[in-house]
Amino acid sequence: MLMHDVRLALRSLKRNPILSTLMIGAIAVGIAASMIAITLYHARSGHPIPWKADTLYAVTMDLRDDDPDQGFSEHPEYPPFQLAYPDAKAVYQSDIPVRSVMMYRAGRVVAPENRNVKPFGATIRVTTADFFQTFDVPFIQGNGWSRADDESPAAVVVLSRFMNDKLFGSANSVGREVTLTGKQFRVVGVIDTWMPQPKYYDLNASSGFDVPEDFFIPFGWMQALKLGPNGNVNCVSKRAKIESFDAFITQDCVWLQFWVEFRKASDRDRYQAFIDNYVSDQKRHGRFPRKLNNRIVNVQTWLDMWDVVGDDSRMQMGLGLVFLVVCVLNTLGLMLAKFLSAAPISGLRRALGASRVDIVRQHLVEVVVVGLLGGFTGLLLTLGGLAALRVLLFSGVLVGSDNPDRVAMVQAMVHMDVPVIALGIALSLLTGVLAGLYPAWRIGRLAPATFLKTQ
Amino acid sequence: MEIRALLSALWRSRTGPFLVAAQVALTLAVIVNVVYIVQQRLADANKPTGIDLDNMFWVGIETLDANYNQAAAVPVDLTYLKSLPGVVSATTVNILPQWWGRMGLPFAANPKQLDTPNGGVPGTIYFGTDTFIDTFGLKLVAGRTFDANAIVQPSSDMASAIATWAPEMIVTRAMAQKLFPNGDALGKTVYVGLTNKSSTIVGIVEHMQAGPSPARFEQFAIQIVIVPIIPAGPGGTFVVRTRPGERERVMAKVEKEFADLQPGRYVRRIEAYDETAGRLRQGSRASAIILATVAFFVLAVTIIGIVGLAAFNVTTRTKQLGTRRAIGARKFHILRYFLVENWLITSGGALLGCVLALAAGIKLSTMYQTPRLPLYYLVLGVALVWVVGVLAVAIPARRAASISPAIATRSV
Repeated sequence: MLMHDVRLALRSLKRNPILSTLMIGAIAVGIAASMIAITLYHARSGHPIPWKADTLYAVTMDLRDDDPDQGFSEHPEYPPFQLAYPDAKAVYQSDIPVRSVMMYRAGRVVAPENRNVKPFGATIRVTTADFFQTFDVPFIQGNGWSRADDESPAAVVVLSRFMNDKLFGSANSVGREVTLTGKQFRVVGVIDTWMPQPKYYDLNASSGFDVPEDFFIPFGWMQALKLGPNGNVNCVSKRAKIESFDAFITQDCVWLQFWVEFRKASDRDRYQAFIDNYVSDQKRHGRFPRKLNNRIVNVQTWLDMWDVVGDDSRMQMGLGLVFLVVCVLNTLGLMLAKFLSAAPISGLRRALGASRVDIVRQHLVEVVVVGLLGGFTGLLLTLGGLAALRVLLFSGVLVGSDNPDRVAMVQAMVHMDVPVIALGIALSLLTGVLAGLYPAWRIGRLAPATFLKTQ
Repeated sequence: MEIRALLSALWRSRTGPFLVAAQVALTLAVIVNVVYIVQQRLADANKPTGIDLDNMFWVGIETLDANYNQAAAVPVDLTYLKSLPGVVSATTVNILPQWWGRMGLPFAANPKQLDTPNGGVPGTIYFGTDTFIDTFGLKLVAGRTFDANAIVQPSSDMASAIATWAPEMIVTRAMAQKLFPNGDALGKTVYVGLTNKSSTIVGIVEHMQAGPSPARFEQFAIQIVIVPIIPAGPGGTFVVRTRPGERERVMAKVEKEFADLQPGRYVRRIEAYDETAGRLRQGSRASAIILATVAFFVLAVTIIGIVGLAAFNVTTRTKQLGTRRAIGARKFHILRYFLVENWLITSGGALLGCVLALAAGIKLSTMYQTPRLPLYYLVLGVALVWVVGVLAVAIPARRAASISPAIATRSV
């Protein structure tokens, strides 16, 4: 029965090739537009570490002056997203979190041991020891370092897999030496390919999407090497004075990312009280002039505060869906026209004994066939469109980088995964049914006699 | 004209026309807003930079030498670059204009302003030498460039360089006007936030842009302060302007020779300046292309809808039309009938579309913090919908007009 209906549907489509092509084309374009928008949105809106959704928190404190806001921030109520060194150092001592990370990104020159490789610029994350466990960084060789190594500081370094390949040709490099900014560091670990997207632990670069750093060194090197931040520095207080690096780190300038992980979600409240206490205490020394506004936020809230998804993807999403609606309306109109012009045939079928249900079912099958054909074409169009977008949007990201992770990141931004493809198929079925339900019902309602008369 | 007959015919088979009208409405709302956004983005991306991008390039060098002498190396580097045939001028900079990063501080004519809430004028800072103006091809409208003897030697790091500051500064006209609204900025002293320093404005350049920016942030891109400081090393970024047509040749030579002027150096990156500036605009240009493509397809789909409905109507009314021809209607009357019918449908859609467009426009302008959608966009949108509607219906209508009156006699 169903096969018969499908055959009828295909025959009916062939009878009216131009109209059929237009209908399938309209659905395909609508599906493609909304699929592309959904893919881009999906890539930006993912949660990078869902298993720590309610134990991992970013810490912020409102260190700003008591000024009226300058009006160019969309959310003047948010505290600065980074901490000043004196505050980070003070709250790092707390034992309420099971782990605390204070860190920033620096950039320096690397001289490889292997003289065949030219020296090159590299990104360095200067961080306290808990970084690797807090963010669940996978290692292929060795390990991170201890909190004691942060203090001394120990001349140890953790490499990204890409950097290990580049410097040591993917050999086990633990125990070997790397020269960073003129100083010898001993490799203690190599990270496996690890690319949280968005790069939530430090969202300062490239609107939240970037590859992790090449090198990780203990936090103590910040002062020992006077390693300045290669990220966003914001002197949020008028009292801040810039004199030299050693003076800078004591000032009310925010430039450190600070994260904590709790054993259980309820520790967050205790920690909030601890931070508020610290800030209230600092108020007595004339710092933190605003009223308490220290936010300890989970990863999702953190991504929302940074607006990682962005207005553009939201707008594209809206546009894609409006487009799909236009295509549904269009197909509905064409389908109605097509069914009505073929009404005499249905009339004949009714007269020969087909029930109203048969007629409606036959037309619904035709509608589903159109929807699926449109959806399939739409998926192909989506793939083409995403390939074009890859060139259009991201070719600049790849210039001057030999890091394969960067290519992988760009791929991930325009990659259709299985749920998105499934959504696309569901969407095309829905489109077809939405567009065809009314025409099929209309055609089923017609009295056969009307059409037989005019034959 | 038989307008009442037309309306009643329209009402009797209202589903099709209603669908087309709804499509027209959505299409109008999409196109008007998309065109407005695209136009804004392109305008932001294409604002003048004041910089001679097409004849410039930059080269970044790094060194591994722990005892690198920045103060001694920079003059050697600049002398080398300026000596190359085809080079107009060269300077060193702390941060490239038209690059992602920027550095800024508040400035004020009166130091007390710097202590008040939000006091001072935000200015983007560039370090350079006496040849900065010439290298970037900026137009000096008052005063002079830096005194070569007033250039401050490199400090140990960026923070110390800012703290040391310099006795002279050159500002853009936009900055000068913000600091001294009376237009007498030249020769005046300007105070610098966070540093307790001040310097004298020795020159004013007509225009310079730090990078493309949305209209509401534009002041941060064009209020620029240039100070004669050699940036902290080791290594650094050098900008070179060549005579037209000589850039590629000079770049090839610099890439080969420049690093070796000092031992242990290498070229981090060398790039034509228009390429650098273009990359900063890639996002807005790409989004403009995406949005324009979507708008185009929405319009195309709607045209298909209009053609489809009209063609269907012509087919189902063939006999009717033949009868009308047979009892005296002329081809012109038939043509007019379809054109008017279609015009009514598109106009109905356009009316609804204007409401939708305005609603979407308000939503988008709060989202992007841009000015409201200007009303003449709606007028242009409606005009576009009318023209497209007439063109779309023309072919089916002509087919209808050419139906032979003899049809009427066939199967009565």
